[in-house]
Amino acid sequence: MKLTIDGKTVSAREGETILDCALRHDISIPHLCTHSALPPFGACRLCLVEIEGMRGYPTSCTTPAEDGMVVRTDTEALGGLRRNILSLIMLEHPSACLVCAKRELCDQYRPEAEKAGRTTGCHTCNNKEICDVRVMAEEFGLSELPVPPIYHERPVERSNPFIDRDLNLCILCGRCVRICRHHQEMTAIDFIGRGSKTRIGEAFGRSPYEAGCQFCGACVDVCPTGSLCDRYAKWRGRPERRTATTCLFCNAACALELQSSGGELIGAKAVDETTPICVLGRFAIPEFLYGAGRLRVPVVRADGSLRETQWKEAIEAAAEKLRPYVGSGFALVCDTTSTLQDRYIFRKFAREVMRSENFVEIEPDARGASRVELPPGTKAALLTGDFVDAGQLEPLELLIVQDCYPTPASEHADIVLPVALFPEVDGTLMDVSGRERPLRKACEPPGQARPEWWIVAEIAKAMGAEGFAYDSVATISREVGKSTAELLTERDEAPPAATDVKRRRAYFRGHRIDEKVPGLRELPLDDAPASARRVGVEAESAGGFRIVQKREVAPNIHEIVIEAPGIAKKAQPGQFVIVMVDETSERAPYTLSDWDAEEGTITLVVLEVGHSSRKLTVLREGDRVAHLAGPLGIPAEVDRLGTVVVAGGCYGIGAIIPIARAMREAGNRVIGIVEARSHYLHYFGQKLEAICDELIQTAIDGSMPTKGHAADVIGEKLRAGEKVDRVVVIGCPFMMMLVARETQPFRVKTLAALNSIMLDGTGMCGACRVSVGGKTKFACVDGPFFDAHLIDWDELFTRRRAYAAHEVRAVGRTESVALHACEAHGAGAAR
Amino acid sequence: MEDWKKEKQPMPRQDPRDRARNFNEVALGYAEEQALREAQRCVQCKNRPCVAGCPVEIDIPGFIALVKEGDFLGAAALVKEKNALPAVCGRVCPQEDQCEKVCILGKKFEPVAIGRLERFVADYEAAHTESRAAELPPTTGKRVAVVGSGPAGLTVAADLARLGHPVTMFEAFHKPGGVLVYGIPEFRLPKAIVQRDVAYVLGLGVELRLDRVVGRTVTVDELFAQGYHAVFIAVGAGLPVFMNIPGENLNGVYSANEFLTRSNLMKAYLFPEYDTPIIRGRLVAVVGGGNVAMDAARTALRLGADHVYNVYRRSREEMPAREEEVENAIEEGIDIRFLTNPVRILGNEKGWVRAIECIEMRLGEPDQSGRRRPVPIEGSEHMIEVDVAIMAIGNGANPLLPSTTPGLETNKWGNIIADEETGKTSREGVYAGGDIVRGAATVILAMGDARKSARAIHAYVMGERE
Repeated sequence: MKLTIDGKTVSAREGETILDCALRHDISIPHLCTHSALPPFGACRLCLVEIEGMRGYPTSCTTPAEDGMVVRTDTEALGGLRRNILSLIMLEHPSACLVCAKRELCDQYRPEAEKAGRTTGCHTCNNKEICDVRVMAEEFGLSELPVPPIYHERPVERSNPFIDRDLNLCILCGRCVRICRHHQEMTAIDFIGRGSKTRIGEAFGRSPYEAGCQFCGACVDVCPTGSLCDRYAKWRGRPERRTATTCLFCNAACALELQSSGGELIGAKAVDETTPICVLGRFAIPEFLYGAGRLRVPVVRADGSLRETQWKEAIEAAAEKLRPYVGSGFALVCDTTSTLQDRYIFRKFAREVMRSENFVEIEPDARGASRVELPPGTKAALLTGDFVDAGQLEPLELLIVQDCYPTPASEHADIVLPVALFPEVDGTLMDVSGRERPLRKACEPPGQARPEWWIVAEIAKAMGAEGFAYDSVATISREVGKSTAELLTERDEAPPAATDVKRRRAYFRGHRIDEKVPGLRELPLDDAPASARRVGVEAESAGGFRIVQKREVAPNIHEIVIEAPGIAKKAQPGQFVIVMVDETSERAPYTLSDWDAEEGTITLVVLEVGHSSRKLTVLREGDRVAHLAGPLGIPAEVDRLGTVVVAGGCYGIGAIIPIARAMREAGNRVIGIVEARSHYLHYFGQKLEAICDELIQTAIDGSMPTKGHAADVIGEKLRAGEKVDRVVVIGCPFMMMLVARETQPFRVKTLAALNSIMLDGTGMCGACRVSVGGKTKFACVDGPFFDAHLIDWDELFTRRRAYAAHEVRAVGRTESVALHACEAHGAGAAR
Repeated sequence: MEDWKKEKQPMPRQDPRDRARNFNEVALGYAEEQALREAQRCVQCKNRPCVAGCPVEIDIPGFIALVKEGDFLGAAALVKEKNALPAVCGRVCPQEDQCEKVCILGKKFEPVAIGRLERFVADYEAAHTESRAAELPPTTGKRVAVVGSGPAGLTVAADLARLGHPVTMFEAFHKPGGVLVYGIPEFRLPKAIVQRDVAYVLGLGVELRLDRVVGRTVTVDELFAQGYHAVFIAVGAGLPVFMNIPGENLNGVYSANEFLTRSNLMKAYLFPEYDTPIIRGRLVAVVGGGNVAMDAARTALRLGADHVYNVYRRSREEMPAREEEVENAIEEGIDIRFLTNPVRILGNEKGWVRAIECIEMRLGEPDQSGRRRPVPIEGSEHMIEVDVAIMAIGNGANPLLPSTTPGLETNKWGNIIADEETGKTSREGVYAGGDIVRGAATVILAMGDARKSARAIHAYVMGERE
């Protein structure tokens, strides 16, 4: 069957759609809702084409290819239609960043997205680096929205132990619903509601598990936007490397695509997108690899305690100590989660070097548990996991453990050697049907951990054994015989745990997997209920500072009123406080947005931008923050100056209010200029209206009467000859820098409130140091206000990014937010 | 004299190879038998020079005599009459420069291990008694505000409380203890011990108010307006000093204060269980030669560094750090580069430190401090590759409180000017002591100041003539 697409004659397969046929022949047609693992759907309509002799513009994803068809995919009319369709999608998908005039500069200064609550634009989107929609918008040259966008104000749903769901981005392509139906033969999620209220979710407000979610993660993998994401991988960006390998948590041998960056594993998904994998393969691997306490360094017991050492010494010590047991009382115990090559070396070592018949290879039970009794007469043992009861270990004369995490055995051992785990090694394994499957190294082992075969071969060599000079897995494989290992990419049915999460394995080498992967504790196992319990707010201690009022004034921006009479009495415009939500929190600074000395309260406007601010914004009225210190910083200088511009962005819209008020009271003409990405991110309009002589609210996406950044408005005013005597600006450094650039040529004194990283907030540590006019200043005690024309902005940007990698780790912990001690509603509350 | 009496009973310690990777206390403390033996070394001389050598005038021969008799609790009680924080001082005092320096036994042999005995009796008491409410005299009604809950603040508070004055202690941080919690690491001074000593002081009826930044949340003037009769300022030396060399604002460059505060106070070594992060350097350089530099270097090691340099511009003899701590550091593998001084810090293209350029020094003529002045050797510049650099070259006076207290005179370094004998400042009713007066010094000197000030404050509020 032949047809012509864009003048090219191509052959189509029976039943193939035009889209599939075109893609197979490297002819690209834009598409969003179609997915290779799914039957055609025809929802997004981006893939429409022209077909000679056919009326209208059929969707290529649902139209079967026919012999003799003449198809055009790239006409002017189609371009216009697609742009319109995308614009319509964009109206309900936060898109301000896509149409922002300062997009390039923003990407240069702020390469990483803010780890915010709800997504309100690319700059707060976890999907920024890998977004199909963003790429498409660029290709289509979308630079304006026809009408102001709609924001659905949906809370970020964080009640799933592994998946965050932000429906504010959802374009209702239905991929997630369809893959769920396909994979699980039922739908844990579906379209809920009708018309403009349609959303994706569990029916009747059930939890994901109650609704039948098996946590296969396929919905996340097919989502073309950032709506659904793997919480652990969420902010780690585009993986540098993808490696196809086999999962070893059980012997179902699912083929996994492991994703890594900088040698570190960040995520996993099924290679075969048509069959689900289980929660362990999809979500548990990175956390299992990087759990607290992973063994990294060889240790040898000396003077009663286990002491870190180098491999050379550890191997020599092992060889030395093992020598007396050659031919008498040695046992080596492993289970089948060691690779075939590892086990070949283990066996060879036990038989040939130790001359022992006691090579014990355990087949784990259905739950992954591997328990065994040591052979009678064992005096010296090498264990590769937590397989033997402590009572059996007591009488041993020598115990060597090679493992990934500490166990009662390793605490008791004479030598503990850190091993690399399956994503960190090459090798082959035997699956449940007796076929060999390949393991391919996808990331680096932590610290000095080494493959198991290497460790045992080194010990053998140190004991003087011949025949252990292997330099790679391949050399062992050659000795063992020809490998027939192939990835299991096509299978008849999903492994049991993929469609019934209760049937997952609980152990890996005797280690409880859920000890390292807290999200798993929220899911039942066999007949045992979930072990995680929601931690209620503990009985209120007298200490702390009570939240008397809290509301989300704009997406991610929370107004929080806290009882703090001492601070309220002393507060002055421009000052800030240090907040610790609980005893484990960071000391984080927040600018005072208001205070009431009589009521004894202070008001903060807090932008949810990362872990610490999230901890604060998920608190509710009546909750307490553990510590609150202030007011700190030098108050804003307020004088009668003439015309004063107060400019604010994001949290700064709230934070400039006291300064605007004080400036007005001092007899100035106050022009308020506040910016936001889009109209729905503005707040406190009326409040500002009442304080400012003139108020200009701008939106970067053109959804307010004034388009652009606050800096643009200030620049225009100055260029138009308007006299401005002072500019005070509070917002993100990018926004403040832009303002400074506009006012500098006109020599209008501009003060910016710097928000560098702080620790104590009282000048004690110097964490917040900034360069101003070539001199180092501390933002906490010399500031927060500095002459914006003298600030070294580049240094400030760099210093603010110092803990970006830590931040990703902190926000990526995979318990559901509902479990946190500061009990949360899983989202920002309704406005 | 028997041979065993010539030397101190050795202090049991964790092996350096073990302790370099854990935060547990390095020195393990005397066992009873060791304490009994050590106590027998004291010759109970008539002149008691050690008492004069002690900034807080502990009856040292007295308590050692009680130890010798096996009355450890009695000994502890005797120490506590003069020192509210014996478990702390037994660990961090530079006894070699104070009581032990003048010990008569030290003229020929090793001095009595007074510090180790002090620690022993304090730990013994904590392990063998239930804390109970102290008996206090009736209240005088003379309220005293103590600003800062570090060693000086705790001492003043304890002394005044025992005299019957209602004392309120104001602390800017979220935990009491000042430098004992934010500065001195767990492996040298376990925080449980600080808590125990703080609890003792609070048990005397002292009221503690956390999260109060005096100078901001409340000023000294306002404290008087609230009815306090006197104010004691002991806010410490909380202003990190930098070298003002190029590259000091690169990412990965810390002040020792920041580095230690992150690790000690904020428990960043437990990140992500605790929210405060810290950069764990692979190659770390600590600049400076004091106790703080040793603490920072040894902390970096425990955070997992492969190699830690300590860069110091003079030689070992001039090093202000305690001998014992320098030895500990060297044993643990800290690579001390004497007579070396950084000239600039170099960064990579992403703004992170990658090396420090240093120059070698030689010792010239003595300077004002009496130590020989280091002079750079031209052409000796060299690079030390690092990914974290920590500046531990001293602390200045934090201006926050003096600048918000009108009439409080400071010297050119910003230190509060206070009478040496009484701590009296230029402001009526305001006393000061510790590092805010002295500049960065030691725990025990701060406590000594506090002891004297407590007497003066008592006299002042009781209307007695000074």
